[in-house]
Amino acid sequence: MGILLFISVLLVAACGLIYELVAGTLASYLVGDSVFQFSTVIGTYLFAMGVGSALSRYIHRGLAHRFVWIELLLGVVGGFSSALLMLAFAFTQGFELILYALVIVMGILVGLEIPLLMRIVKDRYHFRDVIAHVLTFDYLGALGASLLFPILLVPRLGLVRSAMLFGMINAGVALWSTFLFAGQLTRTRGLRLACLVVLCGLGAGIAEARYITSTAEDNIYADEIIFACDTRYQHLVLTRFKDDLRLFLNSHLQFSSRDEYRYHEALVHPGLAAVPAPRHVLILGGGDGLAAREILKYPQVETITLVDLDPDMTKLFSSHPMLTKLNDKSLLSPRLKVINADAFPWVDSNTDSFDFIVIDFPDPTNYSLGKLYTVAFYRAVARHLSAQGFIVVQSTSPMFARDSFWCIAQTLKQAGLQTYPYHVYVPSFGEWGFILAGTHQYIRPAVFPSGLRFVSAAGLTSLFQFPPDMSPLSMPPNELNSQVLVRTYENDWKDISH
Amino acid sequence: MKLGRRRFLGLSSAALVGLSLKSEKKIAGGFVNDSFQMGHLLRDRAAFPPARRVEKFPVVIAGGGIAGLSAAWRLRKRGFTDFVLLEMNEQPGGNARWGENEVTAYPWAAHYVPVPGPKAAYVRELFEDLGVLKNGQWEERYLAFSPQERLFLYGRWQEGIEPAVGLTPKDREQFQRLEDLFAGFRKSGSFTIPLELGRSSKDEALDRISFAEWLRRQGFDSRLLLWYMNYACRDDYGALAADTSAWAGIHYFSSREAEEKGPLTWPEGNGWITRRLLERVGQNIRTGQMVHRIKPSRSGASVFAGDTEFQAEFVIFAAPTFLAPYLFEKFPELHDFVYSPWLTANLALDRYPDSRGAEPSWDTVFLDSPTLGYVDATHQSLRTYLDRTVWTFYWALAEGAPTQNRQLLLDKDWLYWKEAILHDLERVHRNIRQCVSRIDVMRMGHAMVRPAIGSVFSDERRHLSRFHERVLFANSDLSGISIFEEAQYHGVEAAQKVLAKLLG
Repeated sequence: MGILLFISVLLVAACGLIYELVAGTLASYLVGDSVFQFSTVIGTYLFAMGVGSALSRYIHRGLAHRFVWIELLLGVVGGFSSALLMLAFAFTQGFELILYALVIVMGILVGLEIPLLMRIVKDRYHFRDVIAHVLTFDYLGALGASLLFPILLVPRLGLVRSAMLFGMINAGVALWSTFLFAGQLTRTRGLRLACLVVLCGLGAGIAEARYITSTAEDNIYADEIIFACDTRYQHLVLTRFKDDLRLFLNSHLQFSSRDEYRYHEALVHPGLAAVPAPRHVLILGGGDGLAAREILKYPQVETITLVDLDPDMTKLFSSHPMLTKLNDKSLLSPRLKVINADAFPWVDSNTDSFDFIVIDFPDPTNYSLGKLYTVAFYRAVARHLSAQGFIVVQSTSPMFARDSFWCIAQTLKQAGLQTYPYHVYVPSFGEWGFILAGTHQYIRPAVFPSGLRFVSAAGLTSLFQFPPDMSPLSMPPNELNSQVLVRTYENDWKDISH
Repeated sequence: MKLGRRRFLGLSSAALVGLSLKSEKKIAGGFVNDSFQMGHLLRDRAAFPPARRVEKFPVVIAGGGIAGLSAAWRLRKRGFTDFVLLEMNEQPGGNARWGENEVTAYPWAAHYVPVPGPKAAYVRELFEDLGVLKNGQWEERYLAFSPQERLFLYGRWQEGIEPAVGLTPKDREQFQRLEDLFAGFRKSGSFTIPLELGRSSKDEALDRISFAEWLRRQGFDSRLLLWYMNYACRDDYGALAADTSAWAGIHYFSSREAEEKGPLTWPEGNGWITRRLLERVGQNIRTGQMVHRIKPSRSGASVFAGDTEFQAEFVIFAAPTFLAPYLFEKFPELHDFVYSPWLTANLALDRYPDSRGAEPSWDTVFLDSPTLGYVDATHQSLRTYLDRTVWTFYWALAEGAPTQNRQLLLDKDWLYWKEAILHDLERVHRNIRQCVSRIDVMRMGHAMVRPAIGSVFSDERRHLSRFHERVLFANSDLSGISIFEEAQYHGVEAAQKVLAKLLG
């Protein structure tokens, strides 16, 4: 019986840790601020375990019987904790309240387990052996759980089903205990029946968990989600598959680390290399710091002003090790200044002059973003352009959204600018388009910074050539009071997806 | 009382659930900008203080709405600065007043000006002055942003307010036929803005019947078409088609070219124009000055406000005409001046409510609602990210007699209107109560003059423009149509007449 008993200790300990990890992960996933969430969840959990241990002294009789019931209860509460928390977050305002209530209940139950077990077996072993064995297996179980959780459980099963699986393990231990401690139990049939009911319930839960987590995310993001948060402005998700890091803003792919160099080199170099002695550069959008990384390759550039709406975005790309590796810590450069502001009002109120302006906004998927692709906006931006400078605009795909691309070109023209459209192939996006605009003739540069992987003087000519399937279309300019671009863009993509 | 363990657990879990359920939000607010108390003092001939001081000005303007401000604008633009404008309220602007909270400025009444046609020369001049019209181009950021207007009908949205979905062939035929009729009136050149430049006595018969009657005689009976005509009359005149002169109803649709540019508008509505005018003429304005008597003489007129007698050579009377009988001695009794009672409300929203999938629009109207819907003040914002806003809710109390509706405005408390407004919005925005934090309500017993039957060609109105050599009436009441362009036209005209007389 010995080893079997200690295996249940191990399992019980693993369950206890899993619930704690599930609660901590869910809290930081849903609410954000993972340091705070994990600290408080673990602290509360441990404190509640202490309360449970203290309460164990009030249990005098029927120790084995009580132990089975505690296991069952924990199986139910812990097993459904993850699902309950997700529902609580979705449908109530009291997520935190429910979170800590659950953590306390689970902590108390877990805190009761080991003292009860020790007392149940105390007559079979020497006291010092009981302590040594129980605690050894307790810690072993914790180690196992802490390794299983990030490596196997979360990626394979997800949080909801992981919790339910361990709920079943708790219930399994309860069932097992009815045999293990049969001598100390009465009414074992009733107990076993209860165990089976709980097991079936949790099993059904695992089978149907998809319905609980049928948040769109499961379908959208094919890869492992390594970071997700709701900032004030957008839903930000970072995924990884092997060495491919992808950023999604409101479910729209922003870059894939495998080929983003193509996009960002093409965004920056054809224009910036054509500006003689560029000293001051403005980036509108581009909070990922990837355009800034390319701009920092020009030693003449003295200042980069990056205006991005979302402080959480620029903070993330200034601090997350994987992301700062990707953008070469560009956002931390002393030459770069981050301003978290709404672009149009900022452009309107600021008076600085720039030699190169990068406009890298999300595609015009709604009327709010559409304002950033209007004649009025480009007029306001052009006022910041020095005589020798250029503006470059991310202009969606001339292949998939051909009308939209040429509409943006026409809008820049309407704002009194000369335009030089070009395109580039980015595997994760497809054909992508940019438009250079300025008040003077664009002459293709012959020299680029060293070390570029895509843009070269020789290859530049072909970027400015549009094959017939992407060639210019006559489109009206996009204005605030017409917002033709948003409607055009919607139609363009509708045509593709049907 | 001893609490059992079970009972304690039960109670605390109930409390837990109760705390975490979404509860109804508290909505603050009240009546604002009430001015009827002052009006009633005049009506009831209350005793006003005798004049203790005398001030002399060549020109005194009574009333600081668009007409008065436009007169002042013209005077100063012509280099004439020796005048004073007396405004009853603390805030000038009249129907072009505005408010502001930490999120945005918002209108209290008029909220747009249609792109003026070539005949509205004064409006074009003003807009050139204000940078709205530059080198023949309308400034893009002052044209109403897209999406502009939307109508909620049959549980869905459509763009534009003229019903376009769910029409039967008969509806379509009638809309088309009516549009053709309006096009004919437009071509005749008699329906202009300003109204005075085109009004022709050959159309006088249209002023003797109601717009509803005219539509009936033309064989229009499409329910949707009649709804739209009624909506238009309520929106511009605060009256039903049955209480509107047919001439005025036709004018609404035939006086403007079918614009593709959309109206000019600002977050604070026409309050933006008021602000720009105040920047130019503010130093001539005295607010909180209720004029309680005007005494014309052969050489000028005395204007009594508070305890001051303003002795003027000329008075420009830019206050609503219904006040005139209480201010002037032996003023003829008025019959052709009917005023529409209105209610506007500004709703502060902490977040946008559910809108059945639609992105926010500038102007939102509900089919078959007694109200006129609402306008989103942040729609003209250049920001891309907006989570809070203010909606200006419009309600012309058109159904029934104006006097009864004025009494209703006085009798009902704020809660009544708050509930009525939320009820109206709830038909589309189901969680509106969770999103609104404040509702301020403005009651206007005499919001605007109404082009009632017979009022456009009224003799009373004609006599008003020749009331007294030294007192010039200048308000949209002279036209009988309460729109920005008319108020501005009469204000500028009065100022020019005064200047011509003063300077020879």
